[in-house]
Amino acid sequence: MALSEKTRLINVLEGKPVDRVPVICPGGMMNMAVLEVMMATGYAWPKAHLYPKDMAMLSLGVRDLAEIENVGVPFCMTVEAEAMGAQIDIGTETTEPRVASYPIQQIEEWEKLPSLTENHYRVSVVLEAISILKERCPETPVIGNITGPISLATSLIEPMVFFRALRRKPKVALDFLDFVTENLIVFARAMLKAGADIINIADPSGTGEILGPETFSEAVVPYLNKITEAIHASSGYAIVHICGRLSPVLPELKKLEAPVLSIDAVTALRKVKENLPEKVIMGNVSTYLLGKADPQKVAKAAKMSIKQGAGILAPACGISPLTPLENIRAMARVVKGDYGDC
Amino acid sequence: METAKLLKTIADSVLNMDEEAAANYVKQALEAGIDPMVIINEGLIAGMNQAGKLFEENEYFVPELLLCSDAMYAGLNVVTPHIKREENLYYGSVVIGVVEGDTHDIGKNLVKVMLEASGFRVYDLGRNVPAKTFVEKVKETRADLLCLSTLMTTTMGEMKKVIDLLEEEKIRGNVKVLVGGGPVSSSFARSIGADGYGENAAGAVRVAKEVLGIPQTRAS
Repeated sequence: MALSEKTRLINVLEGKPVDRVPVICPGGMMNMAVLEVMMATGYAWPKAHLYPKDMAMLSLGVRDLAEIENVGVPFCMTVEAEAMGAQIDIGTETTEPRVASYPIQQIEEWEKLPSLTENHYRVSVVLEAISILKERCPETPVIGNITGPISLATSLIEPMVFFRALRRKPKVALDFLDFVTENLIVFARAMLKAGADIINIADPSGTGEILGPETFSEAVVPYLNKITEAIHASSGYAIVHICGRLSPVLPELKKLEAPVLSIDAVTALRKVKENLPEKVIMGNVSTYLLGKADPQKVAKAAKMSIKQGAGILAPACGISPLTPLENIRAMARVVKGDYGDC
Repeated sequence: METAKLLKTIADSVLNMDEEAAANYVKQALEAGIDPMVIINEGLIAGMNQAGKLFEENEYFVPELLLCSDAMYAGLNVVTPHIKREENLYYGSVVIGVVEGDTHDIGKNLVKVMLEASGFRVYDLGRNVPAKTFVEKVKETRADLLCLSTLMTTTMGEMKKVIDLLEEEKIRGNVKVLVGGGPVSSSFARSIGADGYGENAAGAVRVAKEVLGIPQTRAS
């Protein structure tokens, strides 16, 4: 018997048997909103970042037209930063929102930052979109996306200042990370309460490639685990996405408590799976191929990810809004056997 | 302290991320009558080169490299007022920036640090830079080298746009173009007509010297 999209994905997260690999595009940094869907549905950026119904309908549109097996919001990494005082440029139909100016210049100033609350307009838009999605598609997994602690910290202060502080003023930097993490937990819990089944945490600035194994294990792993624990305590599931080459930090990744590790295309999935056999590895179809190649090539890459041991098929990272819909669909159809056995 | 030992101490201060020591030993070296250019090349830059090597070997990462560069600049601040003709300092000038649509600038900042550390004058246009701005800055500064960076697959196309605009303005022949960043590869660089590809910050310096015909180890 075919499982529902939601049961299948949750079975994977719980280590239970499934009929086949699920295929998802979580959202957030690993954004999946493409121009073709915006054109087809009439729900487009930048409005879809600001209005709950637009946000929900655009995510639903991607599920329906690209045939992926989840819905997920938001489509950017600026919600938390704006709620904590950053100035945001909301972007255009094809460019993502981004931080325009940092609220603090010196690491010591973090105590002046406002806390994230459910009432902040950007936060409330996401929560309401989640409620709409939950109601519209109860059999589809709803993924709430949050920004990882290092990426949020470096959205509130110039990254170079923060990275220096990690070495020069570790106590202050780690206190700041604690504060950032507490705020992310507030957001994650609110998302679960609003109806999200899974929280995807993506931390593109907190990679082992940037920080090195020692700093990664001190300033990344404990904070990701704190968020994961809070998610589990609220009966949710956690996915952690780490960008970049993973080889410098493979031993540290074992310490992550999230059951799923999503990886990008620069690391061979097989190697990660071999080192972390107990984890579900998610990924890692090249976003460059998705953007530029034809459906046959995308399907081949997707089959390769599955062959190498992907427990969840997904793009390696956020995809370009200009990605052809037929390419996402090709990836999605691979799991259904349309391109032959995997 | 004898000259060689003092220079090594300066290099070690940079390598050990010690700003105060770097500044102090540079001062001592000046007082001992060591040529300022020797202090820069065999002390400060030697230390930064070693840091770059450790970075390539995955011993040092971004935070360490930044602190080494801070120490190098602390030393440079002490020594540069003692140099008579500033232009002798530079191999050439470089315009650098992250292409339009992309705001990820960690990699670009590292390349900038390493280029400066290796003796280039660097004009940093920051991030999210339109093609036109690159071309104007190249004209204005008569730059020898243009470095384009992007982390996102979605903005790689911008790099070609810049090169095409250089052609259109008929100044492509005056400037070498290097590209780099996460999704960029040497075959991509070739395909858009760039002169070179920098795999990482230290690699970018090597390629920069290569395309400009500068020997890899600086004569002092």
